[in-house]
Amino acid sequence: MIREKRWFGVFYMFVVTAFFSTIVIGFSRFTRTRVEANKAMAFEHAVLAVLPSLFDAGADSIELHRRFAEQVGAPDASSAGAYTFEENGRVAAYALPISGQGFWAPIKSVIGIDADRKTITAIVFYEQNETPGLGAQITTTEFRKQFEGKLVSSGAMPLNFKRAGEPLGESDVHAVTGATQTSIRLEKLINAALVKWRTELGERAGEK
Amino acid sequence: MTKQSQAKTIAVEGLWRNNPIFRQVLGICSTLAVTNLVLNTVVMSVALVFTLSLSAATVSVLRKFTPRNIRMMVETLVIAFYVIIVDVVLKAYWPQMSGNLGPYVGLIITNCIVMGRCEAYGNANPVGRAFLDGFFNAIGYSFVLLIIAIVRELMGMGTLLGFAVPFFSGPNWDKWIIMVMPPGAFFMLGIVTWVFRAVQIAREEKT
Repeated sequence: MIREKRWFGVFYMFVVTAFFSTIVIGFSRFTRTRVEANKAMAFEHAVLAVLPSLFDAGADSIELHRRFAEQVGAPDASSAGAYTFEENGRVAAYALPISGQGFWAPIKSVIGIDADRKTITAIVFYEQNETPGLGAQITTTEFRKQFEGKLVSSGAMPLNFKRAGEPLGESDVHAVTGATQTSIRLEKLINAALVKWRTELGERAGEK
Repeated sequence: MTKQSQAKTIAVEGLWRNNPIFRQVLGICSTLAVTNLVLNTVVMSVALVFTLSLSAATVSVLRKFTPRNIRMMVETLVIAFYVIIVDVVLKAYWPQMSGNLGPYVGLIITNCIVMGRCEAYGNANPVGRAFLDGFFNAIGYSFVLLIIAIVRELMGMGTLLGFAVPFFSGPNWDKWIIMVMPPGAFFMLGIVTWVFRAVQIAREEKT
């Protein structure tokens, strides 16, 4: 029987693989623009959400995309990698994208910073895969609200995560209870990004 | 055996007598991983029903041509094909859920239930029956997962499908954080397996 021939196995596997891969490749090409648009949209929404008065939940994606395109300034050397929002020709707020490894998967986030380059106005997480119910609580309003009005201090740790219940200073927020790993990693990556941003801004100011 | 009684036997086997979770204890990694929220579990179950029934049917279609020595490779390929389709659809049309389920959709490829049904049944039976067998095994998987997920979400977070449940979300209920953590899944799986098996044994003794 042909099925028992040695070459038939190789040939058969080749044909079957070619057949199924063709469909999969075709299918993912078909949806690729959509997948990429979803990713870009999640990021744009996050940037808008941390800047003042740009995001509203009622607006549809097209409207939000238009706002992003028209009103948000792309990052350049003078903003040290942050997106900017200008009012009357002056920078009114910064949106600094940050990302790094969380406990399970990368955490991607955008931090909103006031024109004074010190006061945090908001933080949004647009990609994370922390433990649902625990680490994933970083995306809840309760956790994110804590950052509002906190000051980026000038030390090596611009922001500090404290245990729940401990008193908070002007640059401290409470970590997520039961999600030590997520909290430690998040604290590290936020601080690394803030220190880098501060240094680059400082260098720019020094050059002037 | 008539067609109908055959279908019924397949259903009883998949849902109850040979249930993949509490009888065969297969596919446990996804059981443990996605059951902390009911919505995630529902989506995962739909994905598994789709993958398992179609891949069992496809393996069955190919069974007359597939050389025996490479059948596992072919099965894996077929399963991977359907899983990637599910993964791409989620990424394109429900990015948030795709994010929630993370790597677990992709891991259906290595889910022992899917492989097991393709190998044990799809490989040796006609298309219709293979499809039914895959379908009912996936449903058998899904309903056990749902039970686990409902208990875990309710006790651990006080919600169901994200909606607050009276009492459980109130101040009188101290949320059992451990239920939404991985150990909670082990406890629940153990309890569910115990209860269902006890019922099975009791019924067998009666007859």
